[in-house]
Formats: sequence, C-alpha cells, structure tokens
Amino acid sequence: MNAPLNRRHFLRTSTALIALPMLESFGFRRFASAAPASTLAARPKRMIFLGFGWGVTQQSWYPSMLEKGPDYILPSGLAPLGRHKSDFTIVQGLVNKHVSGGHSGSTFWLTGANEFGEPGQSFHNSISADQVAAGALGKETRFDSFIMDCGAATQPSGHGQGLSLSWDSRGKPMSGPRTPVEAFHRLFSRDTTPLDQQQAMFRQRRSVLDNALESARELQRQLGKTDNAKLDEYFQGIRDLETRLSRDEQWLGVPQPTPDLAEPKSSLAGYEEIELMYDIMIAALRTDSTRVLSYRQPVTTLLASLDVRIDAHTMSHYPGKGPEYLEASEKRDRAQSELLAGLLDKLKATREPDGSTLFDHTTVVYGSNIRTGHNLDNCPTILAGRGAGIRLGHNLVVPKDTPLCNAWLTLLRGSGVPVERHGDSSGVIPQLLA
Amino acid sequence: MLPRLPHRLVRLELLLFAAGAPLARSAPAPHAAMPERHRAFLEQNCLGCHGPEKQKGKFRVDELPLTISDLPTAERWQKVLNALNAGEMPPEDEAQPAPELKADFLEDLSHVMVAARKHLGDQQGVITLRRLNRREYRNTLRDLLGVDVDVSALPSDTGGPGFDTVGANLFLTGNQFEQYEALAREALEDAFTAGAAAPVAKKFRYEAETIHPTFVKRNRESLDAMDRANRWIKAVDDAAALPENAALVATLREIAATDDALRYHWKKIPGAPSPMTFGFNETAEVNPATVYLFRDRTGFIRYDEYYLRLPRLDQGSYLTVTSGYGGTGFAATQGLSIPRDFPPGDYVVRIRAGTAPGTPADRRFLEFGLKGFAGAGTPALSTHHITGTIESPDVIEIPFTFNRQSAERNHRNLFIRERGLNDGGKVQRRVQEAVERNGSGPEVAIWIDWMEIERIPAPPGTMAPGLRALDIGWDDRATGIPKEKLRIALENFAREAYRGVPAPDGLVDRLVRIYDSHQATGGTHRDALKQALAAVLSSPRFLYRAEPDANTAHRPLDGLELATRLSYFLWGAPPDGTLRDLADSGKLQEPQELAAQTERLLSHPRSAHFVQPFLTQWLALDRLDLFQFSRKLYPRFDDAVKSAARQEVYETFASLLCENGRLGDLLNADYVVINALLADYYGIQGVAGDAYRKVALPAGSPRGGLLGMAAILAMGSNGQRTNPVERGASVLRKLLHDPPPPAPANVPEIERLAGQVVTTRERFHAHQSDPQCASCHRKIDPIGFGLENFDAIGQWRTTDRYEALDESGAPVPHASKTWIIEPSGALHRGPAFRDYFALRELIAGKKEDFARGFTVALIEYALGRPCGFSDEPLIAGIVAEAGEDSFATRAFMHALVRSKEFHSK
Repeated sequence: MNAPLNRRHFLRTSTALIALPMLESFGFRRFASAAPASTLAARPKRMIFLGFGWGVTQQSWYPSMLEKGPDYILPSGLAPLGRHKSDFTIVQGLVNKHVSGGHSGSTFWLTGANEFGEPGQSFHNSISADQVAAGALGKETRFDSFIMDCGAATQPSGHGQGLSLSWDSRGKPMSGPRTPVEAFHRLFSRDTTPLDQQQAMFRQRRSVLDNALESARELQRQLGKTDNAKLDEYFQGIRDLETRLSRDEQWLGVPQPTPDLAEPKSSLAGYEEIELMYDIMIAALRTDSTRVLSYRQPVTTLLASLDVRIDAHTMSHYPGKGPEYLEASEKRDRAQSELLAGLLDKLKATREPDGSTLFDHTTVVYGSNIRTGHNLDNCPTILAGRGAGIRLGHNLVVPKDTPLCNAWLTLLRGSGVPVERHGDSSGVIPQLLA
Repeated sequence: MLPRLPHRLVRLELLLFAAGAPLARSAPAPHAAMPERHRAFLEQNCLGCHGPEKQKGKFRVDELPLTISDLPTAERWQKVLNALNAGEMPPEDEAQPAPELKADFLEDLSHVMVAARKHLGDQQGVITLRRLNRREYRNTLRDLLGVDVDVSALPSDTGGPGFDTVGANLFLTGNQFEQYEALAREALEDAFTAGAAAPVAKKFRYEAETIHPTFVKRNRESLDAMDRANRWIKAVDDAAALPENAALVATLREIAATDDALRYHWKKIPGAPSPMTFGFNETAEVNPATVYLFRDRTGFIRYDEYYLRLPRLDQGSYLTVTSGYGGTGFAATQGLSIPRDFPPGDYVVRIRAGTAPGTPADRRFLEFGLKGFAGAGTPALSTHHITGTIESPDVIEIPFTFNRQSAERNHRNLFIRERGLNDGGKVQRRVQEAVERNGSGPEVAIWIDWMEIERIPAPPGTMAPGLRALDIGWDDRATGIPKEKLRIALENFAREAYRGVPAPDGLVDRLVRIYDSHQATGGTHRDALKQALAAVLSSPRFLYRAEPDANTAHRPLDGLELATRLSYFLWGAPPDGTLRDLADSGKLQEPQELAAQTERLLSHPRSAHFVQPFLTQWLALDRLDLFQFSRKLYPRFDDAVKSAARQEVYETFASLLCENGRLGDLLNADYVVINALLADYYGIQGVAGDAYRKVALPAGSPRGGLLGMAAILAMGSNGQRTNPVERGASVLRKLLHDPPPPAPANVPEIERLAGQVVTTRERFHAHQSDPQCASCHRKIDPIGFGLENFDAIGQWRTTDRYEALDESGAPVPHASKTWIIEPSGALHRGPAFRDYFALRELIAGKKEDFARGFTVALIEYALGRPCGFSDEPLIAGIVAEAGEDSFATRAFMHALVRSKEFHSK
C-alpha cells in the first residue's frame, strides 16, 4: 500500500498532466466554427466497444468464408448494415483460446484471460482492451472512459460474470451506469452551485475519502495476506474516486457541455434503450467528455421489445428446435445490425471542428465471445470506423484460432496506444493493416 | 452454482486415501486423474500423429501424465477434450473410435477436468475477507436503524459461480462506495423520520358501499358519452347527406372507404359540427377516433345493469371483472387512499369480504397492492384467500409497510382486485366468454364490506439499536450539542455499527472533522450528523466482516466473531443483544450454549433470511423468472400461482427445519406444505386461507417432495414446452449430487430435426447417437423423460403434442402430432423404472448422495468459500453425524456449527 505522501504526490502529478491548452482546443474551440482548420491539432482517437452476449445466427450472420475480400455478399443478418458495407470489416476465425464456458459472452471478451490461470483461485481475469485504451486516450477528458451496462438484464443476456465489459488493471470488474437516465446524468448533470461552494464541497469530499482510506488502513494492519488482497479493492475504489475528484477539480468552472440530447424521461427497455445508449455515446464523444466507451448490451429485454416470447438462452440454441427459435435469433441479429447501422450513421454525421467526422477518428468494436449456442470459436467480430486506420469493407478470414487479442492489439496500436501485447496476443493482424 | 464434486471418480480415490490415515488440512490433496484404462484409447486413436514418431501441432499424448497436478497439464488435457468435443480429432479421414468408447472417454475426461480445475483452484480452507452482500447489507441496516432501504441500485452479488456469501466473488468498486454512502444517508433520513413518528397511532376505515354513488355516476357518464357520440355521428352524417355536399363527399370517399373514415374528415364537410359542441374535448376534435371509442364501448351497459340488480349494494360493493367502461369498470379495482397525515411506518390492512354463492374455488382470491408508477397495472404485493361468504364475511389481515419513498412520491392508493385481473389478455377472454354465455359479463365473485388501515405505533423502548446508541437529538432544533457529547454519540454508534467491535483510535476525530466541515459550509446539524454517520456505514469495518489474522492462519474465532458468523449464517444479519452478551461473557463457545443458540436462531422467524437465499441459490430458483410463461397455453399459471409455487419450496424447507424433519422428505413425502391457492392448483380439497401448512396427500399422488413441486417442474421448461434435459440435469445436480460437467463449448448442435414434427423423445434421440452428446446425455435424458408426465407448469398429463408454427407464430396446417407419454427408462448403468413413481422411488433411495450435496452447499454458504477437496473430512463428518440422526435437518446445521472449520478463521 502506498504511503499517504506518495499517493498525494501521484495525484498531483497526474492531474498536472491535464494541461490547459488541451482544454482550450477541445473544450471551447470546437464550438467556434470560425477557427481555421489548419490551426487545429490532429483530432483525438476514440474507441467504442459493444458486446452483445449470446452470439449470432450461424447461417445468416456470417458471410461465406470463400468470399474473402471486399466483394462478398452481405448475409441477411447484416443486411441493415448495407449502406455502411465499405466502412466496416468483418473478421472471421478469431478466438479466445482459454475460454471454455458456453455462457460467458463478455467476461473474457476484451481480456483474453484464462479463468483458471491462477493456482489457488477459482476465478481470474485481467485488464480489458478498453481500459488499456483509457490509460492512453483518456488523459484529457472529464472521464477517462465511460462504462455502460444493462443492469438486471445482464444475467439472462449471456454475458457471464462481471459488472460490465470492462475489467481494471488488476482484473477486477468495473461498473458504470446501467440505464440511459443514469448515463445521461453522470455525463451531463449540471451543477449550478456557486464556485466557492463547490470548492468547499470538494474539501468535504476529501475529508470523507480520507476517513475511508484511514479506516481501511487501520483495518489493513490487522489482516493477513489474502484478506488484504481483498481489502485492496476498497483502497483502489477510494483511489479511483480521488482521481475522479482531482479530475473534477481541474474541470471546476469549465462549463458542462450541452449534450444536444433531451434528458431521457423514463426507463426504456430493449431496442429503444440500446438506441438511446448509442445516442448518449455520440453526445459523450461530441462533447469530448470521454474518448473510450464500453457498453454491455441487453439481449433479453431486446427480445421482449421485439415481441419475441422465447427466453434468450433457449433462442441461442435454435438448431434442432422449431422455426420460431431460428426466427427469433434472426430477428435479434437484424435488430442489432439496425442499431449498429444507426450508430455508424450518427458517427458519420457528426462533424469535427476541422470538417472531418467522428467516424474518421473512432473505432467501433462490435461482437461477442460466443459464436452461437455454446460455440466459442470464430467469435462474431465487426470493426468499423477509421480511427485505427484499419482496412475497411472486407470480409477478412484470418488463420483459424487467431487470438481475439491480436485484433485488440491491432486496434489499440492503430489508435496510438503504446502497447506491446494484450492478453494472449501473439502479434497484430497484418491483413487488417491498410 | 453447486461446487461440482464428481464423486464417482474422485471420491473413490479419496476414500482409499482416507482409509490409510485421517486427512488433515496439511495432508497432500488428492489429484484428479484419468483412469489408467483410457491410455489404450489415446494409443489407439491419437498416438499415430501425436506420439514419438509424429508430433502434429507439437502435441504428444504419450507424454501426457494421467494425473493432473499442474496448470500446464490441465491445459493440455483441455485441448484433448476440446478437440474431441468439437469433432476435430481424429480427423474425418482417419479411423474413428467406437462411439461407446469415445463417449466413455469423454465422460471421464470432462469430469476429471472439473475435478482438476477444482483441485488447482482449491483455496485450502482459506476464507477470503467477506463483504456484506446485498441482502446482508440490507438486513444489517434494518437491524441497526430499523428501516428497510431499497438496495436495488447495488449489484445483486448473485449469478456468479458460487453463493452470494463467497468472499472471493464479492467485489467492491469506487462507484459502489458512493452507492453505499448514498444508501446510508437515505437510511439515516428514514430512521430519523421514522423515529420522530414512532408513537403515532392512526386508523381509517372505508365502507365499500361508499363507491355506490360514484358507480352510478360513472354509469350515467358512460351512457351520456355514448349518446353524445351517436348524436355527433348523426349530425355529421346528416351534413354529409346534404345534396350540396354530394360532390365533395364523393371525392372524400376516394380516400375514406368506410363511414367512420368519412366522419374523420368532418372539418371538410360544410355544416358538420365539431365534436366539442357535443361535449368532447380538443383531442376528439383533432382525432374523432376518441368519439368512436365512446360509441363502441357498449359492453358495460348490460354488465352495469346486472350489477345494479345485485343484493347488498347498500352495505358493500363487488369486485367486477372487466377493464371496460361504466360503473363496473370502476368497481373492478377498488381500494382506499392512505390519508395525507398518515406517516410512513408499519401498518396493518384489514379487509372484510365474502364470496358470492356459487363462486368457483379458483375465483375466491383477491390481490392487494399499492399503486405505484404503473398505476392500475402495478403488480400485486400479495394474493389472499377469501374464506367467508356474503352472509358471514371474514376479515383478512395484511401486514403492510408504508415507506418514506412511497409517501414522498405520493403513492398512497391501496388497491384490491380479483386475482388475475392484471394478467394480460386473460381478462378480455374471460369477459368475452361470459358475454357469450350470459349476455352481460363475468358473474361477480367477491363482495367487500369494508377496508381498513391502521398504523401500528412502535412499542415504547423499542428504538433501533443504532439510534439508541446515538442518544443525541438529530433534528435541527438540537443545537449547541457539546463536542464531548457528540464524540460519545459517534463512538457508540460506530461500535453498534461495527457489531460490537469498539471504534478504533482516530475514527471519532475524523468523524468530527467530517461533521465540522459540513457545518462550516452551512450544513444543518441533521445533515452534518448524517454525513458523519454515513462515513461509518461506508467504512470497511462495517462493509466487511473482518476477522483479523495478521499472524496466524486458521486461528480460532473469538466470541464476537463466532456470534457474527452464526447470525449471518442463520439470519443474514448481525448478532442481536443476546448473542453479543453471550459472546462477551465467553459462554457462546461452550458447546451446549452454542447448540442452544443455534436452536434459538433457527426457530426465530428471521431464519427465513437463511431459508430463502440458501434455497434460491442452491436450487437455482431464479430460473423461474428467466422466461415468461405463455398465458395463452397456461392461463392457470398466473403471477399469483407462480409466486405461491416459489413460496412452497421455502415453506416446505422451513417446515422441515421447524419440526426437525428428515431431509429425505425433499425427495419423497406423503404430505405437501401448501396454502389455499396451491391446493386449488394441485386439486387438493379442504385447504382454506393464506397460511402454508402441512397437508396429507392421498395415496398415489404425484406430489410430495421437490420432484412434485410446481416451481421445480416449471423451471424444467421454457414457459412453453418442457425441457427434459434441464430437468434431468437438475436432478443429477441437486438431488443425486452427480452434476454433469458444464456444457462443453464447440459441440456441433444437432440440426437435422429442425422444424420436423416429431415426439420429444424422437427429437432428443439424436443425443444418444453422437458420442460427444451421449457422454453426458445418456445419463441426463432418461431422468428428464421420466418426468414428462408433468407439463411445462407442473400439471399432470398423459399425452403431449407438438405443433409446428410458421414464422408469424400461427400453426402450420397438418403439421402436428399428439402422442402418449412414455416415461419408462433406466438410469445410466443403473436400474430401470416403469414410470414417474418408480423413478421417484429410485431417487428417494439415494438419500446419502442427496445429503452430501446438501452438505457441500451448506458449507459453501455458511463459510463463504468454495468447498474444496481439502474439505472432504468435514463433508464426511457432517454427513455421518446427520446420518446417525436419520438425516434430520437440524442435525446438519448443528454438525456444521460445531465443526472446527466453523470456529476458525
């Protein structure tokens, strides 16, 4: 555990990195359309990770492996993405080789960890790709990453253990807003209290966090090794809050951006909920509130909103069952593709100050660790956006059993994240490099 | 959910081991090993390409140890398992192993892999620091502050691989810390408010005949609206019929084919009046469809007339069955509004009601609830049996908590309605059926005399311990509290919150700082105090059940720690005063006292906080909420039955625990524990009221024990059809303690029967032909088929039917099949059974396996860690001890509480 002195020192140093010129260029000039494009720095990179639990329909989602390259026929499950066909690449043959649980579509999806990798532990995980990205891309924004989840719908949606798609550097689950209303408020709630009162509240907040840390430290001295490893989560949680507090303090007085999005009124579920979460993502990127987003999408409520009365897990085992199961599975695919197409539309329609679009600087990762049923090979993977400079418009078939983490590594490096390897990666995917 | 102990392979080995010397924690753990005979399988099928001569994929099987004692070996065997399951090896063009041999090999290997994972992940009895899980947190706040907070914002802590008590799986994040703070402030606000209102007594009675004038008024209004609608329509039609409008009407007809569609364009027709001149609103002016609604809802007329002829309208009212208009629409959901000056707190609601003559048994139930955001669609809180008649009505008493959140949102409308009125399309069907039969609507079933709500004041001296410890005023009038008094208050509160552990040095100073910094910025005393106390309630000493052990592993617990462990085990809550006193005096560690306290806790109603969470997780009862039950196929399985069926599982176990009955009764019993609602569902006569009680079964009843329970059977379905695989697997998992390995990844699904009209057995027959499937399904499926006489909602049946549906969900003509259920079969490598009853006998004969499974679950739940191989002596000890007492339910609890493991860190 760090001594208090070190911790404070670290916080000071890290907040000092939030340099004001950055605030100027991203916080204000964006709205000043008169600013000449040439004076603007290169636009920042963004990454979006979307995970959808129980895989897809084998026969109508995947293009034929024989039609490699740009001239492939878009299968019916992807048909709603037709207008974006030249702007995304579907990658076939990726796998997380350590994963063996047929009901965990998201637990290891972005981490590639081996659940059984630590002797004496019944569960183990490691950092997820979005958090690696957050470490490098998230330094200048209000939120280093923004994590969204689907709350109570998680379990029947085939995501497996975890609180979101995101896992921190110690392999602990991370959480974030679970409804559009929560997400909106976290991002855009306005604080109208006068500045001096806000500063006083920061001091109050510090005294609360200090007490929490002191209380934990007092307990820590009496605990053994295993218990302290557990208590470390508490320390880390408080430290995360302190970091956030320091960040907030740096942003004190900087006006909260206008999201250009009405405050969500009710708790929508399913299709509309996902659509709204996507809108919130666009608003978060447009206002440069964050540059890294992850979202663990609901499947079970999506089905309900599509008037499908079959439970999500049974649907995922459509082979050998009646046609209504296959129909439900395909309906789900089309709805998810439609939603993704809508997100890509909005990324393309959102202008950056230099005249380019969000789509030019963003990477969208869309997929699941489950192919279909309990199959964990050829994980469904769609990559879109020009943020990582990858080759788009292709049906890319990689050698069988290429690690999913190779894709994450390629995207991270392409987005300027200095990273040697990720999870069980063995290198980048050369075919993805444009 | 349950730790998987593949006993057939591993236990044998353990028993041999145990025969030599008694196992101690320090003894080397047994290894997961493939039986020697499978060496031949590898040699025959794999060695050619993966041996000394060739090493395709750099993989050799000849150097693969049969015993898995490290991770690399486990990974290599996992590769073998994956390749065989995926059908990749041996390659298609090579000779294939005999299906039976392959299935045997796969069965053993998949069990060995489970054992190996478990062995390699064994925590060696170490209990990881346990955070209060969501329900414990809620119970703890309730005990400390006397209030019940809504904790749904916190992660549920369930759904992981183990129980929600397992420390290693209970995470904490920064966000969560903030939620704990917010919830603590909320709870304190509740407690302060409730504390002020504690002595308030209130009572309000509402006579049901009060609705009669409103009924008549609604009836007249509906009749009037219908009349006005018809008059407006006539006026528009008259204008349209004017000769000078003929040409215009002809053009309008091109876009408006029907008369209603034509009237829709009334604005364009000269002389046609606005609906507003007939008393309709602006909406109707823009969209006359609203006017048509008033015209079309004529169904109420006859139903209202029928109602107004009923007797005793001057002394009460009837609950009608309709969602329509008129007075009867209004009378369908009745209730009373909690008066504005009634504060939050504990209430009792009484309803005096009786049923009309000739009311069928399944209509003698009413639903009770509080209208929330969903208005009339709000789900009921509870369902109640009406035992009286109109001549001699009975009073139903319902305990009810009116919380601050409801009061603040002004949710004050209590409602009652006939059972099932809120169940989707069911009401429409019932109304339609009745109108066809009698011309008016469903006969009324329930007559209400009056409804009453009474606030129960907290008895003097029953202040919640947290507030009592505080001993200073908390409202803003309490100014000028001396610092020393504040310090004592904070110190005492912390000790209470920390379950008797004194506040550590420095804590009070820091709390005072928080208090001061809050007051300095203009915060009131109440807010500043809340802030300081919330800091206690979000500190690790409160959130974690710390058992400090910096130096000695597995040290014995001190008295307070033991008290805490015991009360969280049996009550899901902190120790009460009695336990803490016994801990302080050192008596709790005396075996007799400990046994007496275990008895006391088990007999207390709070033991429901052990029964419910334990059974929910052990039997995976949340599966019941995983899918919607088709209302069309199963109208009887409504929300009330579903909730009662779940309750039956808890009540049956609670009854066993209460009477110290035999655990084996869960496998087969000549009684059920049910209430009137379930008795009606099971077709059992002579049970009245809402209370669950033991009811003897007639000979030959399929009920009795878990296998005959509606909830257990319904979970073995998907809400539409039965799922024999799920049923078979859960019998192996929960009853026989022989869990199938987790569903393997990458097994190709069987598609060749998709969409074909075949019987369930035919559909699943394919499982037996593919060795990858057969390795598990030959064991699972026969049990599932043996339970096929129960349909998807657990009702007995003798035939089943499959009907192919097209993409719109409509039946495909001539694509259906009906067959007589054939339940006979045989356990894999075991005895044959003729039918369900014989199968139940076979399963009931395996009491010891069941006891083992129960014990493993109990250990994991109570100790908050996975039950590993190193726990074998503990498991064996508890099973043996309970066995001497015919597996009496409390014997398991006592044996566990007595064990060294329960007393050690």
